[in-house]
Amino acid sequence: MAHTRLLCLGNELLADDAFGIVVAGRIRQLGLPDLEVVEASVSGFNLVDYLLDASRLVVVDTMQTAKAPPGTVRVFREQDVRSTPGGSPHYVGLFEALAVGRALKLKVPEEVVIIAVEAADCETLGGAMHPAVAAALAPVLEQVQKLLAV
Amino acid sequence: MTIPTEQTAVAVQDKDTSRARETRRITIDPITRLEGHGKIDIFLDGSGQVERAYFQVPELRGFEKFAQGRLAEDMPQITSRICGVCPTAHHMASTKALDALYQVAPPPAGRKIRELFYSTFMTEDHALHFYFLGGPDFVVGPTAPAAERNVLGVIAKVGIEIGQKVIAMRRRLRELMTLSGGKVVHPVLGLPGGVAKRLTAEDQARFREVAAEAVEFAQFTLSIFDSVVLRNSDYVNLILADHFTHRTYYMGLVDEQNRVNFYDGMLRVVTPEGKEFAKFPADKYLDYVAERVEPWSYIKFCYLKPVGWKGFTDGAESGIYAVAPLARLNAADGMATPLAQQACDAMFKTLGGKPVHHTLANHWARVIELLYAAERMKELADDPEITDPRVRTLPAATPREGIGVVEAPRGTLFHHYQTDERGVITRANLIVATQNNAARIAMSVEKAAKGLVSGTNISEGVLNMVEMAFRAYDPCLGCATHSLPGSMPLEVRVRDAQGATLATLRRDADGTIHRE
Repeated sequence: MAHTRLLCLGNELLADDAFGIVVAGRIRQLGLPDLEVVEASVSGFNLVDYLLDASRLVVVDTMQTAKAPPGTVRVFREQDVRSTPGGSPHYVGLFEALAVGRALKLKVPEEVVIIAVEAADCETLGGAMHPAVAAALAPVLEQVQKLLAV
Repeated sequence: MTIPTEQTAVAVQDKDTSRARETRRITIDPITRLEGHGKIDIFLDGSGQVERAYFQVPELRGFEKFAQGRLAEDMPQITSRICGVCPTAHHMASTKALDALYQVAPPPAGRKIRELFYSTFMTEDHALHFYFLGGPDFVVGPTAPAAERNVLGVIAKVGIEIGQKVIAMRRRLRELMTLSGGKVVHPVLGLPGGVAKRLTAEDQARFREVAAEAVEFAQFTLSIFDSVVLRNSDYVNLILADHFTHRTYYMGLVDEQNRVNFYDGMLRVVTPEGKEFAKFPADKYLDYVAERVEPWSYIKFCYLKPVGWKGFTDGAESGIYAVAPLARLNAADGMATPLAQQACDAMFKTLGGKPVHHTLANHWARVIELLYAAERMKELADDPEITDPRVRTLPAATPREGIGVVEAPRGTLFHHYQTDERGVITRANLIVATQNNAARIAMSVEKAAKGLVSGTNISEGVLNMVEMAFRAYDPCLGCATHSLPGSMPLEVRVRDAQGATLATLRRDADGTIHRE
């Protein structure tokens, strides 16, 4: 049966990097049907485990391009990555993991959508979330629900 | 990810204005950090030649402040969450620091379970690194076009079947870690004085099965290395070339017979000529390891205290040392398991004796360590004592201070806690693997820069050379947890003698190159 996985990447110890984890918590509270919510803080190819056996994947993540103000929300599809204007998100691990999964003919979803929020600080242990990043929570929740409604 | 020790966050602005030189030193403000990027700053002398190059990576801040006020007992779970690459290493070093803090040692089965879990982790991490992180540099071939020097190029070269085998092996190993540790990424196995869960006969049977597969897989990996890398004279020449060759000291954990051990033992340091320089237990590390802050960076560079800091230079007079696979093999007298010992002998024979100073040989040493990790896994899994139910000694002493050391995949990792009598942390320090290597990495970057930067002409080759150095040293990088170290965006900036920027070359995460 087709199901969508919402993969929320983040690390709750690292200031703005907690964003994905916060999103996961909020989405769970909404109790949306036919949706698998997964949180992960793993790196690089370890992501492969989280990419398999879903028909559709929506990823929530932070990015740091230093080209947009903190809290800027970008939504794009996996195929759009190389043409994303204004610099690329630096979570190359996800795209390489997807590429490896496909190259090895593993069960990677055909459709992958990424929602990425520009972060100010993902490096201070125990740091507080930037207010602009926190303010992006509501628009991101809205985006997620919009994507799932399709 | 590197974790800073006792650092305060400093974010300062880079001012592109002239600055007065102080004798031969360039006085500039610490450089603005570009989030998520590695930065290389190259300073030209008066005649436009590279005088000095500095390398910075973003790293985590605020560990000490973060740790203060927390219960030391929580640290094995907390510190494993800091790093998405080596959570098990932090978990284990932290657990061992608690052993010391509470002056308690695990019973034999507890210790063996820890080491079995740890060997499983090392096997998995080294395997993943060889095929997917280091692989792009050599399995594909050093002269292959950039577009092929990535993990897809590796898969194209070794074949899909092997790629699938790697992923499958990895999954089996991680399933085992979940079995004994609770969660692969955030293990809950370690407790002061032992482990949380004993190994049943069924568990042991599973470990034995996977361990046997792992040994076979490691041997297979060694044969790939042999046929794809060692038979390629281009690559062998690259290993032996002057690039990234530095004659430094080497440090690693060894057992009572001076053989490599990842989990425990004494720290052994050898000179650039390979003679034993020091051998000490973890709790004496402050007598031997000191940290130095350079004004142009906020990373702390480790060096050997008894030798002293003599700048970014090689040789026995300089206190710079290295850790990680090659250093461990250099610092030890051999490997503790038979197949790994054979492979180790073969490496030193081929590369002209011990110690080997060619950084790229780390890839070879890593494969040998992969074999050792798998063999050690099998030894421990076969041990009848490992199913003994006595897996924990309860702490009774009042805590005060504890230091724990393990060999992480990327080098020696120290956790050091001081607490009050309730076990609440008052001070904490971490030295992560890469800090031990930081000075040597800086030297490699500088060497690469000197060869590839002339005036304001920055050859794109410098990006590739620096990336190769990264992969060989395999540094812990301060990128967000879920970004891939091997593909970190890099920025190279050339500055004149006064620190003003002359040219910039940047490679973004998607490979786009920007020049300014």
